[in-house]
Parts: sequence; structure tokens; C-alpha cells
Amino acid sequence: MTVTGSRGSLPEPATYSGRFRVPQSVLGYALILLPLMVMGTLILYPAFLSIADTVTEPSSGGSLQVSLADYVEFFNTPLAVRNLAFSLRITAVTVAVLFLAGFPISLYLRFTHGRLGNLIQMLALFPLFVPGIIAAYALIRFIGDNGWLERFLHLLFGYEGFTSPYLRPAGIVVGLAWEGISITVLILTAGLSQIPDSLLETATDVGANRWQAFWRITMPLMKRSVLIVMTLNFLTVFGSFTIPYLLGPASPEMMGPYMRRTFYDANLPSRAQVQAVITFLISAVISLLYVRSVVSQKVEEES
Amino acid sequence: MAGSATTVMRSMVGRSLRLVAGRPWFGICLLLLLALVVLGPMLNVFLWAFTRNWAYPSLLPTVWSIEFWDDTFARADILEGFIASVWISLIVTGLSAVICLPAAYAFARMQFPGRTFLLLSFLATNAFPRFGLYITIAVIFFRLRLIGTVPGVVLIQLVNTLLFMIWIPTAAFQGVDRALEEAALDVGASPLRVFLQVTLPLVAPALAAALLLTFIGTFYETQGALLVGVPEVRTLPVVMIRLINNQVIVQYGAILSVALWVPSLLLLIFAQRVLRGNTIASGFGV
Repeated sequence: MTVTGSRGSLPEPATYSGRFRVPQSVLGYALILLPLMVMGTLILYPAFLSIADTVTEPSSGGSLQVSLADYVEFFNTPLAVRNLAFSLRITAVTVAVLFLAGFPISLYLRFTHGRLGNLIQMLALFPLFVPGIIAAYALIRFIGDNGWLERFLHLLFGYEGFTSPYLRPAGIVVGLAWEGISITVLILTAGLSQIPDSLLETATDVGANRWQAFWRITMPLMKRSVLIVMTLNFLTVFGSFTIPYLLGPASPEMMGPYMRRTFYDANLPSRAQVQAVITFLISAVISLLYVRSVVSQKVEEES
Repeated sequence: MAGSATTVMRSMVGRSLRLVAGRPWFGICLLLLLALVVLGPMLNVFLWAFTRNWAYPSLLPTVWSIEFWDDTFARADILEGFIASVWISLIVTGLSAVICLPAAYAFARMQFPGRTFLLLSFLATNAFPRFGLYITIAVIFFRLRLIGTVPGVVLIQLVNTLLFMIWIPTAAFQGVDRALEEAALDVGASPLRVFLQVTLPLVAPALAAALLLTFIGTFYETQGALLVGVPEVRTLPVVMIRLINNQVIVQYGAILSVALWVPSLLLLIFAQRVLRGNTIASGFGV
């Protein structure tokens, strides 16, 4: 097909062959330059600057030399180590809670159809429609002292031993799990929907029961989605600020609130940089584990 | 084959799983539990917005009232926060659109080396632990004296918008049937006219959804605004944090939550309708 009209300034799709060939790759690069620059200046540059800042220090001669003194100092500060360990523990618990809550819901949604399933799906996706700050406020009222949860337990079961998780470590887990359940269910359901019914039917045809079909077919095929959801939840929870800041205890605190306090209240930006880079490194290790397992799975499949 | 003990255990678990999953009461329990956990907090806040007194252990407010609504919107900090949030969100959304939409068109329609890699590289915004990244940005803003300024808040909130503003429109441009455009070109329409009258109307709903999601996401963005804006620039979520921390009157925060959440819910439902459910999941690499 030939285009007879004159070329406007508008970018032309690849399949059209115009009279004059504007090198499309040049135009393409020109159009994507701006967001790449934003990403470079607002994400990559700050991250690498902080890494560079924290592994160097000025020597007596005025030039910079490599030094890990900042990190030695971090790991020699009991409060810092305590907060880091606390963050990792809360993150692990939240990731586990999200998986244990999200997986049964997703399985249910994958294998049931009808009104009840639709309602459950709507409820599971509901937190996606609540902005974080409003969710935090609502949860404080709900789980706080004399909140609705305590009143429910009191009136329905006569339960009196309620201790509010608000301003306690459990409060952070509750808040982050509430916010994270939608994405968890969404990703796991998407993964489950990629497993064709025919495959499971074939398995039952050759005599496998539902449990065997689940264990031998569904689970291995879900490995990738489960890994994605775990990694993503780890990164989100570990890098969170608002929920731990509003629902968590003042001490120990997660890295998010701790970094802000170091930066803003204690006015020590360079120390906050060290803390930030440490969160980068830990997240990078998690991401790497994820990428490696995906790659090794691919290799396994091909051999 | 695993050991027989494992087999027995598996078949036992399997039997109970079958039993549970086969009955509707499992679904009903799940529904009730989710309703309590998910809807409970929001319903609770709704009730608080219409409460004067709420004595323990009553499940409903003991004295109902709407008297706090006027007080809430008469507060100077809430009014100023609202105005700041609207302006900043509009600026961020507009800026993000100008930066990202042409790029989305290029990603969808043009061939150039490294296209897929560069498109995927925007996932890097998700790969960093969010608040750690904000701290490293804030350190630079600190040196540039951007802390406590509107440009500082706009720039840090822009970080959040890149991924959706590129991925959703890219998918939309890719989804347009090229045969329609070619047909229009064949009958002599100029490329600009084809773009304006064929392509644009087809992608408009998805673009509107991307703009809406960006606006709402920015309006409620809390941590970046708090870290970079305070003390001079206070958006509405930052005002809310102060209301929570100071514990002044429960109703102020409750009324603010209700008043702000309902419009955002309607807009989000609209956006969700436009985008197919899987768009969001695919943004995370599923």
C-alpha cells in the first residue's frame, strides 16, 4: 500500500511507506526522550548519587576516597539495627499474611462462577478504590481502642480481652495487609486464569483427583505468579511509610518512618542516605532472587 | 512418588479441601469475613461523620448530628490544603501527560532498537523501595532548596505517575485497529486528520482513564508531599496526617474522609470500567 498524501508532522506507523523516509528510530527516540530524562534525573540519579555519597568520604588532601565508614557506623548503632530487623520481620509477616489470605480467595474466584464469586471479587478489590490516607484513618477508628471491632467482639461474643493493635507492630501488619490484598488477589487470579480448564479436566480424566490436579498442575504453573506477588509485596511493604508512620509504634519503627525522622527531625540527610541505600540493597537482593528463579524455571522448562 | 505418609496426609488435606470448596457456605463465610474486614472500617468512618456522641459499647452513634460538617469546611487548614491539592494534582497530571503521551504513541507505533527494553525500564519505578527512593530525592532537593516548595512537591509526585501514564496509553494505542486508519488514508484523509478523527476517539476513553487515575493518585499521594512539602506546602493528605496525630476531634477526619472518598470512588469506578481488569495486573508483569 502506498500513501499518496503529503506527509504531515505526525509520526507515521512503521508499515506505511511514504515518499520520504523519516528515520523512524530517530523520531521514536525523540518522543521517548522526555520520560527517560525524568526517570534519569528523578530516580536513577538520586539513587546513584546516594550510593556514591555513602561509599566515599573526603580524605585529608581534599579528594574523595572509598570508605565504608558510614555503613560500619549504621551497623554499630543499636537503634538502627533494631529498626532494620523490625522492618524485615514486619515485612516477612505481612508478605506471609497476604499470601495466606489472598491465595484461598483467588482459588475460590478461579474455580467458582456466579453471583457469590462476583461479590467476593468486588470486596477483595475494594481496597484498591480507597486512597491510602483515608484507609489509614478508617482503620485507626476500626481497630483502635473502643473502636468498632472491639464493640463487635464485646456485643457478639462477650469478649473482653481485646488489645488494640493500633500503635503496636500488629497495627502495621493489619494496615499493610488491608491495602495489599487487592493487588495480591488480582495477580494471583490473573495467574490462575492462565491455567486452562482443559488441562485440569485432562488430569481428572486420567484419574487424578482434584487435590492431585491442584498439587501437580495448578501449583507448578502458579510458581511464577506466586513469586511475582511475594516480591512485589516485599518491595511495597518494605518501602512503605504512611501506614507504619500512622498505625505503628514509635519504637521500634520501620525504616520508612525512621528515615524520615533521621532526615527531617534529626536533620541528618547524609545518615538518612545510608539508611535508604541499605533498603535499596536489601530490595535488590530480593528482586535478584526473583529474577534468578524465573530464569532457572525457564531453563528447566526448555530442557 | 513421595513417601506414603505424605500421600496419606495429602489425600486427607485434599478430602477436606474438596469438602470445604464444594459447599456454598465456604463462600458465604468468606463473603461475610471480607465484608466485615473490608467494608467495616469505611462504614465506621461514615457513621462517625454523622455523630455527636458515641458511647462505648454501642454499635451505633448514641447522638446523631451533622453539626461538624460546617466546622470542618470552615477550618482554614482544610480549605488551604484542598486548594493546594487540586492545583498541584492538576499541574502534575498535565505535566505527566505532556511528558508521557507522545512517548506512549512512540512505544505503541514505532520501531526502534531497544523499544521493549526501554518500555520495561519504566518498571524500575516499582523496583526501588518507594520511601528509600524519596529520601534520596529529598537529599538532592535539600541541596537545591526545593524542600517546602510547590515545584519540589510536583517533581516528587511526578515520579509516581510515569508508569501508568506510559503503560495504559501505550496499550490503548496498540489496541487501535490499523485497518480503520489505513482505510481513512486510502480515501485521501491526511495523517493528521486520521489521527484526530479516527485514532484519538478510539483511545480517548483509555487516555481519560489514565489522566483520572493520575489525578486521583496524585491528589491522595501522602509520603512524597509530607517529606518534601512540609512545612510551607501542605496538601490535604498532609493536613489529614496532622488531624490524626493531634487527635483533635474524630469527626473532622471522618467528614473529610467521606467528602473526599465518595467522588474519588465514582471516578475510579469509571476508570475501572474503561480499562479491562487485566490492564492493572499486566502492569506488574503477570
